[in-house]
Amino acid sequence: MSQGKECLVEMIGISKKFGTVQALKDVDFDVRRQEVMGLVGDNGAGKSTLIKILTGVYQPDSGKIYFEGREVHFNSPKDARDLGIETVYQDLALIPLMSITRNFFLGRELVQKVGPLRVMNHRKMDEIAIQALRAIGVHVRSPDEPVAILSGGERQSVAIGRAVHFGAKLLILDEPTASLSIKESQKVLDYVLEAKERGLSIIFITHNIYHVYSVADRFTILEHGRKLAEFAKSDVSAEEIIEIIRSGRRVVGEDCGGER
Amino acid sequence: MSFLKAFTKKLSSRPEFGVFVAFAILFVGFSLTATNFLTFESIAGIVTVAAELGIVTAGITFLMIAGEFDLSVGSVLGVSGMIFAITATAGLPHIVGLLLALGAAAVIGLINGVMVVHTEVPSFIITLGSQMLWRGVILAVTRGFPVRYWGDSALLFALNGRFAGQLRVSAFWFLTVVFLLAFVLTRTRYGNWVFATGGGPQAAKTLGIPINRVKIVNFILSAILAGLAGCIQFARFRSIDPTRGQGLELEAIAAAVIGGTLMTGGYGSLIGALLGALLVGMVRSGLIMAGAPSYWYQAFIGIVLIVASVVNIRLTRRWTSR
Repeated sequence: MSQGKECLVEMIGISKKFGTVQALKDVDFDVRRQEVMGLVGDNGAGKSTLIKILTGVYQPDSGKIYFEGREVHFNSPKDARDLGIETVYQDLALIPLMSITRNFFLGRELVQKVGPLRVMNHRKMDEIAIQALRAIGVHVRSPDEPVAILSGGERQSVAIGRAVHFGAKLLILDEPTASLSIKESQKVLDYVLEAKERGLSIIFITHNIYHVYSVADRFTILEHGRKLAEFAKSDVSAEEIIEIIRSGRRVVGEDCGGER
Repeated sequence: MSFLKAFTKKLSSRPEFGVFVAFAILFVGFSLTATNFLTFESIAGIVTVAAELGIVTAGITFLMIAGEFDLSVGSVLGVSGMIFAITATAGLPHIVGLLLALGAAAVIGLINGVMVVHTEVPSFIITLGSQMLWRGVILAVTRGFPVRYWGDSALLFALNGRFAGQLRVSAFWFLTVVFLLAFVLTRTRYGNWVFATGGGPQAAKTLGIPINRVKIVNFILSAILAGLAGCIQFARFRSIDPTRGQGLELEAIAAAVIGGTLMTGGYGSLIGALLGALLVGMVRSGLIMAGAPSYWYQAFIGIVLIVASVVNIRLTRRWTSR
């Protein structure tokens, strides 16, 4: 281990073609335990494709994925989620007309047996939802309120709180600050640090280098489906990252992996 | 005072709030203007009409919350009623006829659901086609003649017999269906999935909800309930004509929407459906009793539908547009 900190995820030589478009070419990508990895790059750089491969939405044409040291194959998003890879998508996967609690537990509802019936345990779900949100610093007025009345930042926090609660080891945030005000963005960045404090690894995908720079430990820069560079925060400034993205200059960094 | 305010606010955020108010106003209005409106016979008559409509409405509401439509329920009601009638006149045991009728409804619902889910043609079109197809089949099979049945059985009584004067057993089935579906919708995982399927299919899919299965199941349910209503109606009239159920789909959708269910999915209530169906039944009887020509019924329902939709959309928008 070159850095003394073990990799949680390691993707090696990932390539993916859509028709004639080479979306990713031989990309190596890794995230260490309890680390915030900033995944940056311009539109069409391949960030989403890489993440969708990591979350089982797409299967790579070639390359290997290791999670906690073991090689894994994800055939569906469920496979990835079962291992503790939770994604907070840009649309947040929240349903506006449903209550916070119902959203929080959607697909993972708590049920109790009442005679032959399996009934949702609303009270317990309310309690857990409130507690889980409080744990990352979010205070909701009432768990019965529809998500529709929450602000953008509050919604983001519900989505992050849900992912953290359901045992995410790796939390993937796709442009989490894209549509937020400055104040709300700051809050979301705080949640990210809070989640890291709790032992999670986080992949932070964004265009906004300044947002990610304040929370990330390392950066991976993609461009036209290739990895341009990988830096520890101490080796690079936010301005330098922007300059690399702008110029498309390739820089070789070091990875965290042991020998494979 | 602030307690009262909070209470009204909580109340008005419920989907069935609008229909509850409308129902109360109309009820008082008819009580004052229509002679004999507030009699046991008149109320029982309203309940009888509302029960048959309401069973269909409950199924459609459940489906609409999952974000889909079913315009074929009127034809399904006709098909099931006709199967029940024909098998009864052919001398088959009534329970067999009932099961065949409900089975046929289930198959039609399954076809509707599978077609919608796999072709991605809007359910409006698929079920419109289905409506015409099955109506045509009924007409072709009966050659346009009604089917009558002169017998009786315990099952026919259990479906829609008369008791306590003018009340009918259908009211019991109506309440049972509404209660069961309301329970499933609000208290079970499946209910949560129904809301999610209609309210945000993409998000639901991301979270691993089998939205296609939910839709297909709800199409089947909607059809079975329409079939049940057909059999219940046959048990009342002991005859069925080939146009039975025509136009019912629109009445049922109107009742669902009046009951606070959004056309766009993800929001609605079975209690609202119950009140919506009762309201439609009440308007039908009430207008006649108030001395208005029966033609005005449809016009009046049209107005109620539009007013209800406007109110409902305002009520939901108030807390969704922030």
